[in-house]
Amino acid sequence: MYRYSGKAAFFLLIGCLWSGPILLAQQSKVAATSRPVLTPEKAVSLAEQGHCRESISGLKRAMVPTVLAEMRKQAGVLGVRCSLAVDERESADEFIRLLNKQFAKDPDVLFVIVHAYSDLSTRTAQDLGRTAPDSIAAHKLNAEALEMQGKWEPAQLEYEGILQKDPNARGIHFLLGRVLLSRPDAGPNAPDRAKQEFLKELGIDPSNADADYILGELALRDQNWDEAISRFSQASKLNPNFGEAQLGLGSCLVAIKKYEDAIPPLRTAEQLMPANPEVHHTLATALARSGHKEEADKEFAIHRSLTSAQGSERPE
Amino acid sequence: MKMPSRTRIAQLTRRDFVSGMMAGSLLLPRCPLFALPEAPKFPFEEVAPEKSGIKWVHSSGKSPEKYLPESSGPGCAFLDYDNDGWMDIYLVNSGKCDFFTPNPPLRNALYKNNRDGTFTDVTERAGVSARGYGQGVAVGDYDGDGFPDIYVTQYGRSILYHNNRDGTFTDVTEKAGVAAPGWASSAVWFDYDNDGRLDLFVGQFAEFSKELNKPCGIHEDGRIHYCIPKVYSAMPSWLFHNNGDGTFTDVSKESGIASRRGKVWGVVATDINNDGLMDLWVSNDTLPDFLFVNRGKGKFDEIAETAGAAYSDAGRARSGMGVDSADFDNDGWMDLFVANLDREIFAIYKNNHDETFDDLASSTGVGKATKFMSGWGLKFFDYDNDGYLDLLLANGNPDDLIATLHGEVTYEEPPLLFHNTGRSFENVSAQSGPVFAKLLSARGMAIGDFDNDGATDVLVAINDGAPVLLRNTIGSQNHWLGVNLVGTKSNIDAIGARITYQAGDLKQQRMKVGGGSFLSSHDPRIVLGIGKRTKFDWFQIQWPQPSGKVERITDLPVDRYITIVEGSGKWK
Repeated sequence: MYRYSGKAAFFLLIGCLWSGPILLAQQSKVAATSRPVLTPEKAVSLAEQGHCRESISGLKRAMVPTVLAEMRKQAGVLGVRCSLAVDERESADEFIRLLNKQFAKDPDVLFVIVHAYSDLSTRTAQDLGRTAPDSIAAHKLNAEALEMQGKWEPAQLEYEGILQKDPNARGIHFLLGRVLLSRPDAGPNAPDRAKQEFLKELGIDPSNADADYILGELALRDQNWDEAISRFSQASKLNPNFGEAQLGLGSCLVAIKKYEDAIPPLRTAEQLMPANPEVHHTLATALARSGHKEEADKEFAIHRSLTSAQGSERPE
Repeated sequence: MKMPSRTRIAQLTRRDFVSGMMAGSLLLPRCPLFALPEAPKFPFEEVAPEKSGIKWVHSSGKSPEKYLPESSGPGCAFLDYDNDGWMDIYLVNSGKCDFFTPNPPLRNALYKNNRDGTFTDVTERAGVSARGYGQGVAVGDYDGDGFPDIYVTQYGRSILYHNNRDGTFTDVTEKAGVAAPGWASSAVWFDYDNDGRLDLFVGQFAEFSKELNKPCGIHEDGRIHYCIPKVYSAMPSWLFHNNGDGTFTDVSKESGIASRRGKVWGVVATDINNDGLMDLWVSNDTLPDFLFVNRGKGKFDEIAETAGAAYSDAGRARSGMGVDSADFDNDGWMDLFVANLDREIFAIYKNNHDETFDDLASSTGVGKATKFMSGWGLKFFDYDNDGYLDLLLANGNPDDLIATLHGEVTYEEPPLLFHNTGRSFENVSAQSGPVFAKLLSARGMAIGDFDNDGATDVLVAINDGAPVLLRNTIGSQNHWLGVNLVGTKSNIDAIGARITYQAGDLKQQRMKVGGGSFLSSHDPRIVLGIGKRTKFDWFQIQWPQPSGKVERITDLPVDRYITIVEGSGKWK
């Protein structure tokens, strides 16, 4: 069972490999060092004809500031594509860096870079699958890919398989719990089962703030305020920059009408997540109900401005 | 929620059972040894159109263009238009407008109660067919002549029908000045300035016309869906002051009502701060809900944000639709309810007695039950007459293609029934029979006792379908008193009156709110349940301002309707 999914997720990812409309021509056997220096126009022309290996060094040289912008952009895009076509990842990185620097706001360039990063990510995943197919990292990656595809059962099996190999593997119970909360067919007791996984995770790794945070959310949902406050507090302690945990703590304190107590964590959440409307709404409520009318009005105003900027939150 | 403990309904004792068996065996020797189990008694049963005589069917005129008003109606009403003591029915239909020309023409319907469980269509004679693109109905005796008048909200131009007291009505909209051009949704009659006359609030939905219709509804399934109304501009609602001479003055601006633009679906007139001034709880689609608090001298403050009733707990505006207000926890303060769209959950707000509210959706089970529901008509009422206000919700998604987008959500949805246990609410829908398994495209919902048995019945208006009449089968198993309040100095419909009553260990309070639900209007009588207790000890009414008079009445009958006229100090 453990090996059921094998390389299924990798395979699907490989299917997404992207190298643009480059059709590689018969590659020259001539060493790059012996090639003559190419003009930018010649390098671009070679790349367009699929002579990638021959063109890459010329394309790099075409990215200097003295070359016209349109030519530089064309050379950069072709450089990315050619580098990926011949799997020269360092060159690809370099072209991406140059494009990012020179054409940071060009949508066509950004489109190319998105795909290039995606392609590089897939290739690295392939590397992992090829070089260490039975490693925990490989199975974790495979499980994550399966999760992204909504293949909950195989993903869960992958995680369980990791735990069979290493019952104390860090982070796996957390991911199992996450799958249980994500899969729509997990059944009515999924939150309880997920809770057990998060508790097991904390047994292995007491410093896992994410596990404490989700346990806090589950307790909040069940209106188990003491448990929720304890979990959110612990998550905030473990990770002082965990804005959601601070918000959760503040929300719990508002729910039990401890409005003054709710203000400090909500102020912290506000600093960490200034663009989050929920923080301002909850903070405004805490302030209003503890007699700080002016401050509350300010927070309500921020909330209004953020929500009107976002439009209605009605689910699509 | 703290509520008085509920007296348990007497159970059949073992002794009763044994003696009954023995008696049965002596008196009915030929009965089979084991009686067949009785069919389960469910609280509501559907009255088929063949039985009721209500053959009218709503038609929205659904078009390929998916004009948004097609998805919202209709409303309905229980009213006693001929003052014979029996609830008649009014049903709103679509009709001719800029995007729809029905052929043959459509019309609203007035059904007269024949007092035998059947109804007769008297629309044409009564002259209330309307024929515009109707949405809802609000019933109130605005001229205080003792006969209810009808306000029909429409997309286009609304209509006020004055009751001529002879079974006919006259369209007095122009003279009255209450046409409210635009897309009117829910309306409510209430006396905001306590001058003893019923004023009129008319909610306005978004700015819309055939020309403004947006092709925005193309979703990932490639089909055109009804638009989410956030693409349409919000509009101000109307408040009309009753001048007492058959005319009204538009006071929307000076009152503060028009200062907030919304996309109004539901409205209920209530008093959230016990100051004797009627407030308005108003739901908005895709915008924060409104709580207009009446500060006197004709001014309203909109306080929903600070009251904690504008948004979800997460600070998100939802798609508010049906609303109601009632003191469901019997603490003397009016609480609020608003139904929303699927995946938003509905809100049940407990009044904190300081113009703030807490949403109890999670602790009452309302949140869990409504997660995938879209609610429209709804009302707090005591369906089993045990003395506690229960809650019935009529549901249905506005998007007829919703199932192609979300597997958990359906276009037609079953109603929900929450029983008030005295401590909280219990979702009893699953054990309440086939009515609560029936999938409906419900919109408006009205409550009223059409057969005068003290058990409050329900009328559900269906988008593109026949209305569903639900007869209450269990309310009359408990004892009750039906009260018709007639104001003399205060408004004649006694909107805003507060009732307190005691029957043994049961002491309860009620307020007569204006409107509530969605696009609909209700039986004006209040039914007070007392469970198995056999008598009322006393009954106290605090009449609305301007009198504010308090009258206490003892020696009350039980299991019948009575009328109490303000100032008389007695019932009849």
